[in-house]
Amino acid sequence: MEIEDLKHIWKKQSEGFKPKDKTELANMLKGKSSSIIMRLKRNVWFELIFTFLGGLGLLAYALTLPGGYLKWTSIAILILFAVYSLYYLKKLRLLNRFDPGNEDIKANLERLIYNLKGYLKFYRRSYSVLYPVFFIIGLLFVAIEHGAEGFFNKVTKPDVLLILLPGAAVFFIFSSWLTSWYLKKLYGNLLEKLESLLRELEV
Amino acid sequence: MTGDEKKFINLINEHQGLIHKVCIMYVSNPELRNDLFQEIVLQLWKSFHTFRGEAKITTWMYRIALNTAISGYRKQTRNVKTQDLDEVHYNISEHPGAEDGEENAQKLQWAIRQLSEIERAMVMMALEEIPYEEIAETVGITQNNVRVRMNRIREKLRKLMNV
Repeated sequence: MEIEDLKHIWKKQSEGFKPKDKTELANMLKGKSSSIIMRLKRNVWFELIFTFLGGLGLLAYALTLPGGYLKWTSIAILILFAVYSLYYLKKLRLLNRFDPGNEDIKANLERLIYNLKGYLKFYRRSYSVLYPVFFIIGLLFVAIEHGAEGFFNKVTKPDVLLILLPGAAVFFIFSSWLTSWYLKKLYGNLLEKLESLLRELEV
Repeated sequence: MTGDEKKFINLINEHQGLIHKVCIMYVSNPELRNDLFQEIVLQLWKSFHTFRGEAKITTWMYRIALNTAISGYRKQTRNVKTQDLDEVHYNISEHPGAEDGEENAQKLQWAIRQLSEIERAMVMMALEEIPYEEIAETVGITQNNVRVRMNRIREKLRKLMNV
């Protein structure tokens, strides 16, 4: 079968095509994009707004407190919320680099792979920093609960240190593994697919 | 509706066959095909202000439509090939009296879907009689490379069509 025969067959399939009218096309412009990047952006915006509103609520609550450990706990969480807001803003900035796909297929694949790798690297790194922060905050809460002096006396004891340090290491290793597993599950297939398409073009 | 929107809708209206064909080649489920159609229209609209007429309008449309179908959209990933095969067999056996032309068109559609996503993009443009120069520009490879790849694709299609 020659290419001319295929062209002839190809033309046949256009015959069954029902064109969309202009109103239908205009309505499409009002629709929501279902691209991967837009979905990621929507999720990040949701998290950012949720963190911001939660932070505002917590701030209003903290201001009504006279003092004591509850107030300090609220302030610690507010600082964490502020760090998270910066983290979400950086994520949005990285996601904005993905738009739009105007270039040729190969250049578009190269850009997507580069940006996706950058995004995943940032994701992984920020959690590597945040996990120890969570751990320290957890310890601080225990210190507040038991009184700072008693707490420091307790944690500096060798038998407690012997449990605490390996515990911290296990917590860090497990949480880092969990982040890597989660990212691979979410974006691993997409990255592999993009890389295999690019490899095909480079052969 | 703004002037730009009107201009854009007219453009899409005139070339919607192109988007439709890209959708057919990348998605077999009609409902999901409609989603991809909308996604391509949205991506074209997002990039419309950057189109300055340096490239041919169809080259620009193919670039965005194919980029969206190949790498910017993820919905139907599982069992595509099995489903396509079933679909072809179902259609042919449901319409034993169907004309040869229709059957061949379905078989060609099936055969193209067995190719890789890059090959699909290239063969689709070739069947639309788009010159190799423009295919090379859309895919991002040299014209020579297009020629070599097209020979390979033609061979694959010939075998698949004779199955």
